[in-house]
Amino acid sequence: MSQVYFEDVEPGYELTPLIKEPTREQLDAFTKVWGTSTGRFVSDEAARNEGFTGVIIPGNMNMAFLAQFLTEWAGSAGKLKRLEVDFRRWVQPGDRLSCVGLVTDTGTEDGENRVILDVYIETQKGERALQGTALVLLPNKP
Amino acid sequence: MADMDQTDAIEFDRSVIGVDYDVGSHEVTEEQVTGFARAIGETNPLYLDKEAAKKGPYGVLIAPPAYYTSIRLQAGPDPQVKFGTTSFNASQHCEFYEPMRVGDTISAKEQVAHVYAKTGRTGTLVFTVRRTTYSNHHGRTVMMVESSNVRRDMGQ
Repeated sequence: MSQVYFEDVEPGYELTPLIKEPTREQLDAFTKVWGTSTGRFVSDEAARNEGFTGVIIPGNMNMAFLAQFLTEWAGSAGKLKRLEVDFRRWVQPGDRLSCVGLVTDTGTEDGENRVILDVYIETQKGERALQGTALVLLPNKP
Repeated sequence: MADMDQTDAIEFDRSVIGVDYDVGSHEVTEEQVTGFARAIGETNPLYLDKEAAKKGPYGVLIAPPAYYTSIRLQAGPDPQVKFGTTSFNASQHCEFYEPMRVGDTISAKEQVAHVYAKTGRTGTLVFTVRRTTYSNHHGRTVMMVESSNVRRDMGQ
């Protein structure tokens, strides 16, 4: 993977979206590692009792998708420093999720090259599941 | 009236606010790191490939940033909010200082930073904001997470 450099980005720069299509198997693997065995993320019945059509994806898993999106973009010499999101809508296995990022500000402070981004996850229906901001540090071009 | 502050009317234990509690520790294992990374669909060899990680900047497998979501801790302080029939994650704010590494013992402290209520168009919502700080066995803080959970009446 090629490294993105601080000099490459400016406000308005858009990251190539990362598409995630979480399956029921991935959700089950996630809740297993998490250690959750009951409730709306595991049982369709529990989810229906709360008014959903079936199991839903935990906010934490969406958060992990955004973190993956940003760390993959930042590359091995970049760093994800901050991620701040609001959870807005439920998503379910089978949904097609686009992780989107847009640079809104850049600057150098305390020797760090800071990139501020608006980030969100949008479903195939154009609804935002979560949205927020991130701070990523990028290296200088050699 | 939109967004009227209703906090005074909500019943909860105010004595826990702002007090840090030890909520236990966690051994970062290869099994859990790779299991977590695979569940998310991560492909970075630093999380998945022991040999590649050995040659990488940390010399050992590291955990993806959101690995903290898979760490089971003891229950933190409970403000015992007497409101609502259901609860959801409202927001989350993470600060990452350095990666967790396989072999680390991570200890965590948690506090209830705020409880507040708001009444808007959709009725009353009660927010509980918890702040969890994770440190490694070298005593360095590796990350901080502030999670806001909202309670409401179902069917609102």
